[in-house]
Amino acid sequence: MPSAAELAWLIPVLPLVGACLTGLGLISFNRTVNRLRKPVAVLLLTCVGAAAVLSFAVLAEQLAGAGPREVLFDWASAGTFNLQMGFRVDALGAVMLSLVTTIALLVMVYSDGYMAHDKGYVRFFTYLALFSSSMLGLVISPNLLEIYVFWELVGMCSYLLVGFWYDRDGAANAAQKAFVVNRVGDFGLLLGILGLFWATGSFGFEEIGTRLSEAVAGGSVSNGVAVLLCLLVFMGPMAKSAQFPLHVWLPDAMEGPTPISALIHAATMVAAGVFLVARLQPVYAPFPAVQVVIAVIGTITLFLGASIALTQQDLKKGLAYSTVSQLGYMMLAMGCGAPVAGMFHLVTHAFFKAMLFLGSGSVIHAMEEVVGHEPVLAQDMRLMGGLRRFMPVTAITFLIGCIAIAGIPPLAGFWSKDEILGQAFATYPLLWGMGFVTAGMTAFYMFRLYFLTFEGEFRGNDKAIAAQLLAAAGKAPGGDEEHGHGHAHADHPHESAWQMTMPLAVLAVPSVLIGLLGTPWNSRFAGLLDPHEAAEMAEHFSWSEFLPLAGASVAISLTGIAVAVAAYALRRIDLGQAVAARFPAVNAFLANKWYLDAINERLFVQGSRRLARQVLEVDAKVVDGVVNLTGLLTLGSGEGLKYFETGRAQFYALIVFGGVIALVVLFGAFG
Amino acid sequence: MPFPWLSAAILFPIAASLLIPFVPDAGDGRRVRWYALGVALITFLFTVGGYLNGYDPADPGLQLVERVSWLPDLGLAWSVGADGLSMPLILLTSFITALACLAAWPVTFKPRLFYFLLLAMDGGQIAVFAVQDMLLFFLAWELELIPVYLLLAIWGGKKRQYAATKFILYTAGSSLFILLAALAMGFFGGGAPSFEYTALAAKGFPVGFQVLCYAALLIAFGVKLPIVPLHTWLPDAHGEATAPVHMLLAGILLKMGGYALLRFNVQILPEAHVQFAPLLVVLGVVNIIYAALTSFAQRNLKRKIAYSSISHMGFVLIGIGSLSALATSGAMLQMISHGLIGASLFFLVGATYDRTHTLQLDEMGGVGQKMRKMFALWTICSLASLALPGMSGFVSELMVFVGFATSEAYSLSFRIVIAVLAAVGVILTPIYLLSMLREIFFGKENAELASHTHLVDAEPREIYVISCLLVPIIGIGLYPRIMTDSYRASIEALVDREAGALGRIASPPGRAVMRPAAVPAGMPATAPLQAPSLA
Repeated sequence: MPSAAELAWLIPVLPLVGACLTGLGLISFNRTVNRLRKPVAVLLLTCVGAAAVLSFAVLAEQLAGAGPREVLFDWASAGTFNLQMGFRVDALGAVMLSLVTTIALLVMVYSDGYMAHDKGYVRFFTYLALFSSSMLGLVISPNLLEIYVFWELVGMCSYLLVGFWYDRDGAANAAQKAFVVNRVGDFGLLLGILGLFWATGSFGFEEIGTRLSEAVAGGSVSNGVAVLLCLLVFMGPMAKSAQFPLHVWLPDAMEGPTPISALIHAATMVAAGVFLVARLQPVYAPFPAVQVVIAVIGTITLFLGASIALTQQDLKKGLAYSTVSQLGYMMLAMGCGAPVAGMFHLVTHAFFKAMLFLGSGSVIHAMEEVVGHEPVLAQDMRLMGGLRRFMPVTAITFLIGCIAIAGIPPLAGFWSKDEILGQAFATYPLLWGMGFVTAGMTAFYMFRLYFLTFEGEFRGNDKAIAAQLLAAAGKAPGGDEEHGHGHAHADHPHESAWQMTMPLAVLAVPSVLIGLLGTPWNSRFAGLLDPHEAAEMAEHFSWSEFLPLAGASVAISLTGIAVAVAAYALRRIDLGQAVAARFPAVNAFLANKWYLDAINERLFVQGSRRLARQVLEVDAKVVDGVVNLTGLLTLGSGEGLKYFETGRAQFYALIVFGGVIALVVLFGAFG
Repeated sequence: MPFPWLSAAILFPIAASLLIPFVPDAGDGRRVRWYALGVALITFLFTVGGYLNGYDPADPGLQLVERVSWLPDLGLAWSVGADGLSMPLILLTSFITALACLAAWPVTFKPRLFYFLLLAMDGGQIAVFAVQDMLLFFLAWELELIPVYLLLAIWGGKKRQYAATKFILYTAGSSLFILLAALAMGFFGGGAPSFEYTALAAKGFPVGFQVLCYAALLIAFGVKLPIVPLHTWLPDAHGEATAPVHMLLAGILLKMGGYALLRFNVQILPEAHVQFAPLLVVLGVVNIIYAALTSFAQRNLKRKIAYSSISHMGFVLIGIGSLSALATSGAMLQMISHGLIGASLFFLVGATYDRTHTLQLDEMGGVGQKMRKMFALWTICSLASLALPGMSGFVSELMVFVGFATSEAYSLSFRIVIAVLAAVGVILTPIYLLSMLREIFFGKENAELASHTHLVDAEPREIYVISCLLVPIIGIGLYPRIMTDSYRASIEALVDREAGALGRIASPPGRAVMRPAAVPAGMPATAPLQAPSLA
């Protein structure tokens, strides 16, 4: 019987087959297939489920001590070049495989409830399976080239899913923005891959690593060039993992259905950048300059995300900026040369952030019953409040998520974040300071979200606020769109169906417990990924070092929570008065997301449009003008042109044809 | 004697087209279209038969050779054959033409003449790729212009006369250069004139003479490919053509330029080619960026896609100029790939126009709500065009990138600049294609459009045509060797010729030196750092 590792190629192929089947069905027998909702869902769930079973088998093998396994074949070749593809299974890949399939499965179950009334149900499931397939392919890619292939494919799935509700202008713009911003990152990634191939003649991670440092040591590649190539490659992860300044697409991507935000834009795809940096550790490790840049960008990102999250009124946007911030933590870990810590945070974050997003989806789903299918209303926390009474499961799991991300022991987020902060403290104390302050901000904004959403009085029936929000968004109250507000039929929201609450409950378990796998004195997670480092960690562990740092982290988190409690639960301090009014510039700066969107719009969007228009102008007036002028002059006068314009086409063609024939005859006679 | 596959593929559609007046048809084209489709399919089978029975992909030489003396005084012979450079394109031609016949189903205006021209063109285009005699090539090249001209001038859009005239003046004018070069090369060295490719390639022209001929041919083929700034006939011609003609223009005609560059400029004039190569690369980059920008600003759907074709042809130029086997192979693949993707996009443009009756993006919007299948097909083809992995465009562009970046013939700084600029195209392409999708399909339905047209979703025939194109697009994207292996040997022989020419030309300071294949790990140290001279 073949080992699971030998069958690992099936993991991405199974969902792909499912997606292709339903996709073909959708195109050829649209109506019939659209009616087969449950069978399609069951088929695709089975495909992803089988992939999940295989993934866990692979993980079990890795836990039992199986080594890495790589299978390659010649994909394209010319001359002496062979571009190879294949798959690679190792501990890092196995962890990611299990993570991705688990969350994908849960999100699919959840979507059955969330998308139950959507006419694009089948299409949604098809995209989900397609995404799972691409993401799993990315995880088992053995070299940079194949990573690039799947990198683009997950980007495409993200494009399709963000633009899923294509009749909304917001979704259309967000989808395009996501793709184009990611392509800017891919521009660097592609050039970096080409450059590394030029320098080392390989696409494999280890080979590039060893050959590049050899080449630098041997003097055939200068240190600066090597650093530049590494940074070019890093542009890819910067875009995909929403690092400053290429993070701008992620908050907009919240226009997609909420299950997508949980799966793609919180747990899996955005983590791909972090994953790639982890894969590239053998390449990056010898270059401290690269590490510093990664760490600094990670730190800027974690601070930027948290600071913008402070003022968000949209529940999903708040979570989105929180994701940006947490991705910054992971990058910081990578920059500190601690990929295991970064990967650990990736795993814990995937669980609790997926849960938080699914929880927000549950809230939005419930709110839509009250305020109608209008994202401006259904996602705004000013209309929520007091939801805990109506939807206890959602509220409790959301609260667990908040505690986990805030970093309160023994929940998952504490262990992983603390490990990163510990590493940063040892390597870059200044960056640690930023990360430390941000930890407090994280606790504050997460509990702010929780209190505004679930505690206090329910404000969903306040027509005045609703009208205000609609006016601010530039939409006519009452709504004349297709979805309309006519669906608003309930006075208060209800708890969601079991398909939606079950995944929340399931995700709550790892959100609480999984951190215990990575305790610094006995990290089983590190033991799987990097036994050496695990042993080292356990050896160097001392309570006297761990307790002060961990204590400080917990203290600042508690402070953040306390402020949130005082401000939003007890209403003792009015932050709007106390802070926002006193520092209007800061408040405006944060509310406008550091003005980055405005700068992008001005500089790049308008700039490229203007440039394109000018080039077209030149093309039409100068290049084509010369041609037309020449044409006119050769014909002597307008007379000739008029003749051609009158439509004696056949006649003219006859002349040409006759000319050619005459030429042949001429040659025949006198040649 | 083996069955003359190539002659059959050339002469059968032409002969069959002459019989069209005798097809019993009521004048609405209902019978004649079946006839044309049948002929095109049989032609396709002839080419496939030739590929399967008489073609060995491992052999770099000429195969399926047929030779009959025609005008011995002139050295003109009916000489056809196929090697790796032409066989894939011959298959592409007969394949796209068959699909174009299916795409032409709704044509009801003068159907007999329309299908006559379509079939005549089929034979003519296969001839362009298959003939092995330069004079014959010139004839085929000229003869194939006439059907295009008529198809444009009779069935085109509002400005069809202008576009057709521009097309014929441009291409007929430029093809004079082919004739001049052919005569010069054929009569070179005295003795009996000979125009066969093998004879020309063996003549060993002096470098100065080569450069002259090369320049003349570059202009002629540059118009066809097209190379900026010789491209302005294309947006007009493409902007006015109907969908099936469009498919042929984008799918096959543009490839004639690329093929001819490889066949004459590279194969017959290698010494001149290695001097002109940097120019080709620079022009390629200009093509990519310039046309991508104009496409972005263009508000007319057809012209937008037309400019995108020009942009994609830039990769062909870079590949041809790269002097590397991988990138040249990529250029070849890009031609095939764009033939398929361009044809599918232009077909969709036509199908969309049939419904919206407008090509102005401003007059569309929100069309996706009523035409969901059409939306899906558009999305797939646009993604293919923006070189999404898993589809052929990605592989060919990647091969050009990797091949050029590792090409030893150029200095490092030149390679860096070119690679960076070409990669800008990677950003620009999705910008214009996705903007286009957004403006056509996304958002609220355009009320005015919905009020005066009936937006019907894609019909089975349309889905079938696109599916036929998507099968090879995705097949090549998943496993490119199914295509690249069919011409690999010829490309390698071609690149060996380039390497030989590079070796023969003395290398004065400032010009890079080509080193034989194998790439050792430490090679960058030895790469020359000077910028290459532009011829």
